[in-house]
Amino acid sequence: MEATAAARAVRRVSTGTLARAFFRSLFLQAAWNPRGMQNVGFADAIAPALEELYPDPAERAKAAARHLEFFNCHPYLAAAILGGAIRLEERVAAGEAPPESVSRFKTTLGPPFAALGDGFFWLALRPVAALAAAVTEPFLGLGCVLVFLGLYNAVHLPVRVWLFATGYSRGEGVVDAVARAHFASGTPLLKACGALLAGALVARSLLEAGLPHRPFHVLLVASTIVVAYAFLPGLGVTRVTYIAALLGLALGARFF
Amino acid sequence: MLRLFGLAALAALAGGVASVERKGALQLMLSRPIVLAPLMGWLLGDVEGGLMLGVPLELLFLGGVNLGGSLPDNETLLAAALTSMVIPAGMAAGTGVDAPLAALGLTLLFPLALYGRRLERASEARNQQLLDAALARAAQGDAAAARVNLRGLLLPFSSRRFLPGCGASARQGHSRPSRGRGTPSGPWGRRAPCAPSATSAPPPSRQSPPRRSSPSS
Repeated sequence: MEATAAARAVRRVSTGTLARAFFRSLFLQAAWNPRGMQNVGFADAIAPALEELYPDPAERAKAAARHLEFFNCHPYLAAAILGGAIRLEERVAAGEAPPESVSRFKTTLGPPFAALGDGFFWLALRPVAALAAAVTEPFLGLGCVLVFLGLYNAVHLPVRVWLFATGYSRGEGVVDAVARAHFASGTPLLKACGALLAGALVARSLLEAGLPHRPFHVLLVASTIVVAYAFLPGLGVTRVTYIAALLGLALGARFF
Repeated sequence: MLRLFGLAALAALAGGVASVERKGALQLMLSRPIVLAPLMGWLLGDVEGGLMLGVPLELLFLGGVNLGGSLPDNETLLAAALTSMVIPAGMAAGTGVDAPLAALGLTLLFPLALYGRRLERASEARNQQLLDAALARAAQGDAAAARVNLRGLLLPFSSRRFLPGCGASARQGHSRPSRGRGTPSGPWGRRAPCAPSATSAPPPSRQSPPRRSSPSS
């Protein structure tokens, strides 16, 4: 076994196969299920690479079965893990590394990358893009849809490709590359931008809804928030804001 | 009448594609309300009205994120259903989409966001059958076992395009939603007690059109 393993050179996966794997990774969550989460999608995405690396059908099936283990990550950052896993599989196929190293790589990096991606993409980038679109909507009209899609995908798509490429070229070194990629430092900055945009949006809507003709309504809505929060602390800020927003909507619709 | 069914089919198709794009594929955010509502508005003939619905909906669901195994309320289903009901209603009323109509539609349809989450939960539970199929094939030495992955897209597509479709046709006041499109098939009705089909409760055997068979059978 040792002799044959040493005799095999490390086989590289071709660029076309990498592209196929990346394309399939866009469908990572198609069969998301509570037991294995993204495992079916991941196994499907890595299948083209396995096909090239393991010419022997029995070995290939064994490798494919390995990738049906539990896997969960952020759908975008999973691209980095996919790229790294392909690099590791090259070594496993050449006999340089044990098959468990791939599993270990996936289970170790999944949760931290998921946290990074959730914070950056879901909780910062998307709200900011949506708020920017909402703020520009009065000026751009339908163009605001393009603002949303443009802002979001101008970051999302290059990052996804970069993650996959870096994962493949660095293997286990992808951790350092991602750590230096300003995900963690960019998140608070984006969130601050989001807060700013949200404030601008609220101010504009309030001005538009109340001030020209009915300043008292704005005052009423604002004082509802303050009074309810002061006297009914059990209600919580979110509910108070919603109640006040409902009141504002009712006033705005001229029900009374 | 033909135009009506054409509209319903278009709305249904857009809703189905969006429900797939939402989580299963790509995730380019084409299924967010701010994109989906103007798009469906364009399909139904009032793109400005769609935008008017889409922007506030997007802000309402700004914080709805899918973290790990937790699911947010399904703003895609709500946006699709709301657009496909309010826009034809506005056209029928001759006013276009205005604030009272939009508010009324939102009040009536908001439970769909919660119902959509249940649907999603149910289809995820159903995906376990795909996992079992993949595991069984892998155990037999099939290296392409994970190809069942894409079949996971069929169920959200077929189940969630139904609602916008019946919305567009029902609001025109010509046809009943149950005609021609069928109601959600058996398991859906039973899993989700707030499903429209569960309230009327026809015999389950009559209820499943043959083309909406489960993807894993």
